[in-house]
Amino acid sequence: MMDLSGARQGLLQGFRGLVAGAMAWDLRAFVVPGEDVANALGLDLDAAGLIRVATPRHASVLLIAGPLPPALVDAASVVWAQMPRPRCILALGSVDLGPLPTPDVTAEVSQQGLISGLEDLRKLIRNGAFAHDLTDFDAPALSERIEYTCPMHPEVVSDEPGKCPKCGMFLVERRVSGAAPQAHEGHEGHEGHEGHEGHEGHEKSSTDSTQAEMAHHQTDAMTSAEASASYVCPMHPEVTSDTPGSCPECGMDLVPQAEAGEHAHHGHHGHGSHGDHAEPAAEPTGPYTCPMHPEVTSDTPGSCPKCGMNLVPQPEAGEHAHHGHHGHGSHKDKPAQRDQGGHTAHTAHGQQDAHSGHQGHGGHGVAPDIPGIEPHFMSMVGLTEGKPVSPDGLVMEWIDAPFGPFFPGLPGGLHLVLTLDGDSVAGVDVRGMTMPALPSGVDLDDLADRLADAVPLSPVAMRELACRAAEKATGQTATQADLTARAAAVERERIASHLNWLAGMARQMGLASLMRRATALQHRVRTANANEVAEQATAITNLMDSVLDRSFMRTKLAGIGTLQGALEGPVARSAGHASDARHGDPVYAGLGFQPITQNEGDAMARLRQRRAEIDQSLDLIAAAGTIAMPEMPRATGDGHGMATLETPRGPATLHLTLKDGAVASAHLTTPFTALAAHVPELVEQMELADALTAIGSLDLDPWSVPQ
Amino acid sequence: MSLATAFFLAFFGIAAIWFGVVVFRTHSMVRSAIALLFSQTAIGAMFLVMQAEFLGVLQIMMMATEMSVMAIFMVMFMMDPGGMGKMDMTHQKRLSLWAGGIGLVAALVVIWTAGWQGPVPEVPGADEQARLLGRELLGRSMFIFESAALMILTAMVAATMVAISPQEEDIQ
Amino acid sequence: MSIAVVLLALAVGCYAVAVLEGWAVHGRLSLTRPATSALALMGREQILPRTPDRLFFESGPVLLLIAGLLSVAVIPLAPGLIITDLAIGALFLNAALAYVLVALIMAGWGPNGAYGMIGGWRFLGQFVAYAMLIVMPITAVAMRAESLSTTQIVLSQAALWNVVYQPIGFVLFVIAAMGVAWLPPIDLPTGGGDLAGGVEAEYTGARLAVLRLARLVIIVALASATVTFYLGGWLGPWLPGWAWTALKTLAVAAGMLALGPRLPRLREAKYLAVSWKLGITLALANIFLVGVIALVVPI
Repeated sequence: MMDLSGARQGLLQGFRGLVAGAMAWDLRAFVVPGEDVANALGLDLDAAGLIRVATPRHASVLLIAGPLPPALVDAASVVWAQMPRPRCILALGSVDLGPLPTPDVTAEVSQQGLISGLEDLRKLIRNGAFAHDLTDFDAPALSERIEYTCPMHPEVVSDEPGKCPKCGMFLVERRVSGAAPQAHEGHEGHEGHEGHEGHEGHEKSSTDSTQAEMAHHQTDAMTSAEASASYVCPMHPEVTSDTPGSCPECGMDLVPQAEAGEHAHHGHHGHGSHGDHAEPAAEPTGPYTCPMHPEVTSDTPGSCPKCGMNLVPQPEAGEHAHHGHHGHGSHKDKPAQRDQGGHTAHTAHGQQDAHSGHQGHGGHGVAPDIPGIEPHFMSMVGLTEGKPVSPDGLVMEWIDAPFGPFFPGLPGGLHLVLTLDGDSVAGVDVRGMTMPALPSGVDLDDLADRLADAVPLSPVAMRELACRAAEKATGQTATQADLTARAAAVERERIASHLNWLAGMARQMGLASLMRRATALQHRVRTANANEVAEQATAITNLMDSVLDRSFMRTKLAGIGTLQGALEGPVARSAGHASDARHGDPVYAGLGFQPITQNEGDAMARLRQRRAEIDQSLDLIAAAGTIAMPEMPRATGDGHGMATLETPRGPATLHLTLKDGAVASAHLTTPFTALAAHVPELVEQMELADALTAIGSLDLDPWSVPQ
Repeated sequence: MSLATAFFLAFFGIAAIWFGVVVFRTHSMVRSAIALLFSQTAIGAMFLVMQAEFLGVLQIMMMATEMSVMAIFMVMFMMDPGGMGKMDMTHQKRLSLWAGGIGLVAALVVIWTAGWQGPVPEVPGADEQARLLGRELLGRSMFIFESAALMILTAMVAATMVAISPQEEDIQ
Repeated sequence: MSIAVVLLALAVGCYAVAVLEGWAVHGRLSLTRPATSALALMGREQILPRTPDRLFFESGPVLLLIAGLLSVAVIPLAPGLIITDLAIGALFLNAALAYVLVALIMAGWGPNGAYGMIGGWRFLGQFVAYAMLIVMPITAVAMRAESLSTTQIVLSQAALWNVVYQPIGFVLFVIAAMGVAWLPPIDLPTGGGDLAGGVEAEYTGARLAVLRLARLVIIVALASATVTFYLGGWLGPWLPGWAWTALKTLAVAAGMLALGPRLPRLREAKYLAVSWKLGITLALANIFLVGVIALVVPI
């Protein structure tokens, strides 16, 4: 009898047997890399009796659909680590899963494989859900260091527990994944956790990326407020310039002065957190003082009689007072204090002898004493000083929350980290996966296979693209009938792809029944022949009609994610740009193709646009009459060819160079990068749900990021 | 007063005081707010024990929402709302000690000098209480309550105005 | 005795609602699935997230369950079949439901995760939207019954159910009730597509089972409250009173559950705007209309 790879400790007997039986029936799957990919691979999870869950915490099966690209293996192992035991892996078509345990069941990528795999899995769970001795799961992505940081001064990071040298608060434990030497890597440092766990442990303390955002924010505020902003080197404050450029001394880019101030400020802080500054530097007034009440001094360590905080060695108290001054200096309403001289002094301070200069600054932090009210204590101004300010004027800590790469309702594999200010989006980091390098030295069939495998969401379009480029390169041409049938195959994929997108949007918006219907239809269409597609036409049109007639869809989508800047693909067409690679193509001209456009350019227009395109594709397939997959031409000799094809997500271009009948180089361009570049402006300051809807409505394909 | 009543009254009274102490003993703002909420809930339960059903339930209901709103304001405005840094939040200890001491003495003086009459002979039923309360609110005390309501509304609007920081276009 | 009967009825009701929810969400009507799911949850590991607020994490689901049970306590199944017939029952129901908010904030804050925390605080925003629309329709119901006692409220509908007498209040109350039970499309705290489970995202095993059970209790409580306030409670011909209450409750629950998967999740700002601008206006109009009718036409 075999145990599950993720069995739970315990003996399988009595009540546990019953429980194991129940668990075998109640399979809840978290789909990696994503439900959209599973749909595109022809896996019908609903038909197989699987329940999909939104978080690995609720899953019992890790369903790996198709080969897992290396970029996702780490994230998948984090997901695996988050799943409660007993847990198991069902891998369809994957061979190498890196650090993940050997899959409990492997099967081929097909509905049949899924069903038989689940059958095997049920038997395994029934017999092996509980086991005697378990092995702990470990993966490089899970290795983490514990570091300590101050809740008030996120720049204070230490490897050991203790108190903040600035304010005396206890440092808070936080876990950082990977072996990054410094937490300053920000996103990279947390990458391993992006599945669902990245937030744990530190979301209540801002990270360095937040700090960076803050610097940005204040810079923006400054440049808009002051027209005559001058530029300064972050390292060499004596270097100033009226125009942007680079520093003659160190080559760094000059930054606007406000930001330089921030940086100097940071450098300074960094210094403050070094251990060596704690050395008592022979201060005549007594070495210990309260971080909040500089007038309190003592020769011995202890607590402040006024606020009870632990006294800290004097130089750092000076540091803190100084910090207060600096913070004030960066306030919007006091631009006069941010003069060049001040910066020079402070930065020099940070770089040279940190101790000698302190006495001069010691007094700055003390606010005028108001009888009965202690300066700064619990003051909102004091506490929120230096924190990023939202446009609504509320100062809050920002948190970075991962919404990918396996977030339900978003394209699988899409790396998305939203910086949240409350529940509105203050910043976004969106990335796709870099495609593996297209091979050279292989034959054309191989190239087509690799392309189709690398972009699982639109394999037919990729194959057709390779075929067209190869035909250009070899100078061969297919017959008009062949070309038409192949165009019909691309159109069929367009219908399936748009339906798959609709299923994802429905998942995101909580429209369970629409999601099921759209998924089922896309399964029926994806591999259908022309007649079968025609049979489904009514069902598809009915579904799309009912979607559009739902006036509630409008309340969710209208006015969300308006984007006029996109130049290609359905997103551009829904904003009125009639750019379509099919336009002017003789094959499509023969089928009577005319580009369709909408005007509004919002998420609702994108829905209408895709609905119109589905109708159009149905007509095109009907006009073509047959569907045929492209046959790669035989290649001999050298040649160069370039082809552009309108994939379901926009035009993709392939440059192909042949040498002696084999592929010498291939270069692919896809719409992802251009489209993803619009995301930050698109979701800026949007409510979280609206932002996700807006991103989802773009139908990004994270798989096709060219190197 | 029956023994059971006395027991529950004491129980909820002690619970109210205990949660009140927790408010100051915890480092977490959210815990502090929720502790204050349960302290107030316990006071509501004391009302219930004393057969003031309407007042008790009203107290229990209002506090749940009020304290939740307070908690979110703490999370929004305060650093380290989870109390992970174990920052000492007490201040002005001498002043608070004096204020607390004077308050305690004043309360004791009131308790001992008030001319308590014996137990109220007949507590009207809960529906009768509600009816009497309604007549009071819409009769003799109507003016007081309505003016108080108006003042609270004014304060709310004013507080919102103060809270919104002036925007660029407002200044110009 | 009546307590045991009501609790048994509640258990059956919860199971039935779980079956209905499975049908609404997964599109399959299975009588055994809730049982197997519950058993399976019992067998799963209970994971404690990193640096949680352990007290909140553990007590959130339990408080939610208590709030649900307390709100059921004032719902009459039939004359005499009620856990406690408080004179201010309708107000008590409100008070108990207010702790749904507290419990969700605690459960969202406890695990120390971004999704849960946002989910919990989002529910506060949702509360601000629905709170008035729970209280104000009940006010109109109590005006007609001239009592806050749930039993009196049912009896006051002997001649004409409130759903006919004050239809505006009925619609408002049902929408608000769906907000209280965070039923789709108003499932902002757990929204699957926005927050990957939100408040539930970090709960596993038996703790998740408690959370889910508490939610079912709350759904039953709100459906039966709708029946009590607007659909004449146990009143009805032929069948015994408890059967009418049960049937009506299940019908209301099924209606609420069936609506969800067919509508896109409401946007929080939209929910707030509609609730305050339109909802409260209508609720005030409802109170006024009911007042006029109650004074003019004695039904």
